[in-house]
Amino acid sequence: MNKLLKLLGKLLLILLGFFVVTFTVYIFNLDMKLTAMIEPFLLRHYDRIERDRHL
Amino acid sequence: MAKEVGKDRFGDFYIDGGKVRKRREWRGVADTLYDYSRWLGIMMTLGKFVMKPRNVKAMFRYRWMANYLAVPMMVDRHTQGLRGEYLRICHEEQDLVINDVAQLLDNLFRGDRRIGNDTEFSKKVVLVDENEMTAVMMGFPTLKCLSRETPSTYVSVLLNQHAAEHYIDVAQEFGLAGDVCPMPEAEAGVSIDDDAPVLGACAIQCNTTCDGSLLGNGVISRRLELEDGIPVFQLAAPLRHREDDVQEYAAQEIRNAIAFIEKHTGETWDWKAYFECARRVNYATRCRQEWLEMNRTPYPQVFGSNLALYTETNYMAICGRIPAFERADRRISKLAQQAYAKKKMAAKEYRHRAIIWGVQSHYYMDFLVWLLNCWGIVPLTDMLSMVSTRELVEEDTPENRETAIYDMAWLTENMIMRNRTHGGYKVLLDELWEFTEQFNADMVILWEHMSCKALTGMHGMFEERARELGVNLVWVTHDLFDPRIISRQGVRDQINNYMRTVMREEPLDPSLEVLHDEESW
Repeated sequence: MNKLLKLLGKLLLILLGFFVVTFTVYIFNLDMKLTAMIEPFLLRHYDRIERDRHL
Repeated sequence: MAKEVGKDRFGDFYIDGGKVRKRREWRGVADTLYDYSRWLGIMMTLGKFVMKPRNVKAMFRYRWMANYLAVPMMVDRHTQGLRGEYLRICHEEQDLVINDVAQLLDNLFRGDRRIGNDTEFSKKVVLVDENEMTAVMMGFPTLKCLSRETPSTYVSVLLNQHAAEHYIDVAQEFGLAGDVCPMPEAEAGVSIDDDAPVLGACAIQCNTTCDGSLLGNGVISRRLELEDGIPVFQLAAPLRHREDDVQEYAAQEIRNAIAFIEKHTGETWDWKAYFECARRVNYATRCRQEWLEMNRTPYPQVFGSNLALYTETNYMAICGRIPAFERADRRISKLAQQAYAKKKMAAKEYRHRAIIWGVQSHYYMDFLVWLLNCWGIVPLTDMLSMVSTRELVEEDTPENRETAIYDMAWLTENMIMRNRTHGGYKVLLDELWEFTEQFNADMVILWEHMSCKALTGMHGMFEERARELGVNLVWVTHDLFDPRIISRQGVRDQINNYMRTVMREEPLDPSLEVLHDEESW
């Protein structure tokens, strides 16, 4: 019984931790702030790709 | 931070000159948790997508894939200020469309010769235009109907206002005219820039809407046929689509397109699958009519981008082929009925009832939400949502098989946009005033797409008739895919000036009147 309670407690803590972290990312828009920082690197990468550009 | 509708100052969420917003909205406990759970769902969809190595490879190969970093922000733009049923309707639609586009991308990269190179899969792919009814694919359930232009240009501009600029510039560098519609020009630019996935057994192009579209198709099909060895069928649907004498020709085009697909894929047309799709198209039509019926009352429920974006996807790109959209239609109708019964409103005040007409700016599709939140203008319906309401035959009989060919021809002729921008004076001009009366609207907001020759010729006639009827007519000029010509604030200023100088009104939310979002996604 104790083991089961401990396991449930751990599970709840993990879920709570997941919620706190993801909700913080969500409400402060951290996901978009991060991807906005990635975009310029990607654009520079695309500029370097060799392409067969023609009509 | 407000639970109540209309209490927030939405302009405060923007960062001057920034790409993204400061934070997400607090909508009260229940709605915030709901929105958060749907955000988690979107993150899972994106997570599943990038789990596949070929999709990561594609991310580093195709420039337009960078726009997909902005998927959650697109949803945030369209859900701004929404609570309760409106928020849920928006997520039903947006999340489903995101899922559908993720599947489309996954399939494109699976067959793409540069990425997944699954040749057996590629043999089952029929490429279609972005701006094309997919009616001719309703009887081919074992084939994949994929559009390369939908993810590379159309969806990209909804995600990131600057998405098409590179491709427009490429097309013009190669001598294409600068005054054609930026949509087909950008699509041609993707092809010229060697940035389109290469796959498929064959392709169907349609003489969709305009001269620019024909120009773009010419450039794309040349590369497809002459270099990639993918045969292309030109589905030339009549432009005078309301005339009886063109219908036989239109039906023959459908027969020819079906025969072409059968020849190049080895598949045969499946009537059972067709009639099943036709039943779903009819269901979607009935739902849309029900929503529009509600929008004629003082308590509209499915309107603005909730109506516009979903109708475009469901009517044209899906065309009854995907059952998930039927389930979404049902859930949206249920939510709308609930909200209608409670006489709910999406903003604290509805000051004006507007019909939105003309071809909308893609880099500013959340304009409809802005109209509501900033000025209390309710966008009851828009030109691209006023599509065919004709019931298709559903029962498989020899006579109905012949009628079904005409039904597919009718749908193709009456695809979104071309059903109004072509077909004569009545469909573009006269019916606008009929809708204005039916919807009890006091305002018409007329998008003037400056590169669209189909509409510019009628400018004076719109003004003359609006004056006669005493309807407030607001022109909003834009350049469809190119915010460098007219920015989002340039769009907003045209409304702001009209509302302040002609209507002599103050905004509901003054913080939204001027936004420095020119660098934003």
